[in-house]
Amino acid sequence: MNLREKIESGRFVITAEIGPPVGAGAEPLHKKAVHFRGVDAVNITDNQTAIVRMSSIACARILLEQGIEPVIQVTCRDRNRIAIQSDLLGAWALGIQNVLCLTGDFQTFGNHPESRGVFDLDSIQLAAAVRGMNEGRLMSGDEIKDPPRFFIGAAANPFAEPFDFRIERLGKKMKAGAGFIQTQPVFDIDHFRRWMEGLRSRGFHKRAAILAGIMPVKSAKALAHMEKEVPGMRIPGELFDRMEKAADPKEEGVRIAIETIRDLRSLEGLAGFHLMPLMWESITPRLLQESGLRSS
Amino acid sequence: MKNRMSVWERRLSHGLCLLEDAMKKPVFRCQSCGECILSHTAFICSQRCPKRMRNGPCGGTREGGFCEVYPERKCIWTLIARRSALLRRSVLLLRIERAHDWELEKTSAWLNVFRKRIEPPVLLMGKKKRHELEREN
Repeated sequence: MNLREKIESGRFVITAEIGPPVGAGAEPLHKKAVHFRGVDAVNITDNQTAIVRMSSIACARILLEQGIEPVIQVTCRDRNRIAIQSDLLGAWALGIQNVLCLTGDFQTFGNHPESRGVFDLDSIQLAAAVRGMNEGRLMSGDEIKDPPRFFIGAAANPFAEPFDFRIERLGKKMKAGAGFIQTQPVFDIDHFRRWMEGLRSRGFHKRAAILAGIMPVKSAKALAHMEKEVPGMRIPGELFDRMEKAADPKEEGVRIAIETIRDLRSLEGLAGFHLMPLMWESITPRLLQESGLRSS
Repeated sequence: MKNRMSVWERRLSHGLCLLEDAMKKPVFRCQSCGECILSHTAFICSQRCPKRMRNGPCGGTREGGFCEVYPERKCIWTLIARRSALLRRSVLLLRIERAHDWELEKTSAWLNVFRKRIEPPVLLMGKKKRHELEREN
């Protein structure tokens, strides 16, 4: 069963995330991939935070060869609609079936701040374009003889203003074709519950699978870094206290992640989790086991 | 493929653009996208967004509603969302704005409406129009 079939059959799914290597060797990817045996699919970021890395599609193909189902992330920052559509046709031909549609981090945050941002499309228009391709036509209206059949995903940030309109906007993403939604890492559980309530009151949880983001952090410093460097993050003060007071901050970070998973596991309308163990891929099997998400 | 602009149309557009810019730039800080959606976004120009978002805010809005890219500025979409609620025009934000036609960039939106290249603005938001839009979404 692939990710689409699992989600459509109502199974609780776990996705995770890999950042591609900054280099032309596949070895680091092979090493990271070993830790993700227990998850249903793995996202491959597309030059995240605008830092040049190996192409998402190339990495996806490498993972596929290792028996891992990839989700390619596609951002609108670096490519216009011509390049994106062309890449997607190629991705399908390589056996890639899942696409996460993103607008993309602004280029000034990365290692080439002097570069030109494209932003020809936004994430919603991109999702609509992929759906059009699935239906056999390019954005121009031209017919695709051998169309792809991508499973379309999108991202959501429950923790940034304007809160209400963001929920409505998520509805637009679903209308544009998104079948699964991965959220930013959840640190503020109460806020996330309220957000889910907003989704449920509009029936959005039935239109797409909502996967809550989980990010284990290694130290209070890492947490502070996240809050400062990643725009739109919301981290409650008590979490900082816990991390600072902990004798073993790494252990505390894992514990917080596991608690979050257990807390949200039975939340009505939640269809799964999206794990983001950035720079800490090896912790994934432990997270899965100790949280009770995977038994063996 | 698309009906491109003829030379006379470009000239007319250029002339009208000067007039349109003179009115829209000081009031809305119009970016001359030629595909005006001001009336959908509570008369705040969405194209002031560094990512030129046309369908709502990106995921990066900072605490307090500030822009990801320029932290000293408000995220234009927090302003649009707030004013839309105030003017009871939020339903207009639910429409999916199509991908921008960059061929219309720096042309006159007024002429483009007249030439039926873009939709006419929704200036008045009566009960009837609101119901119509609510049904549509």
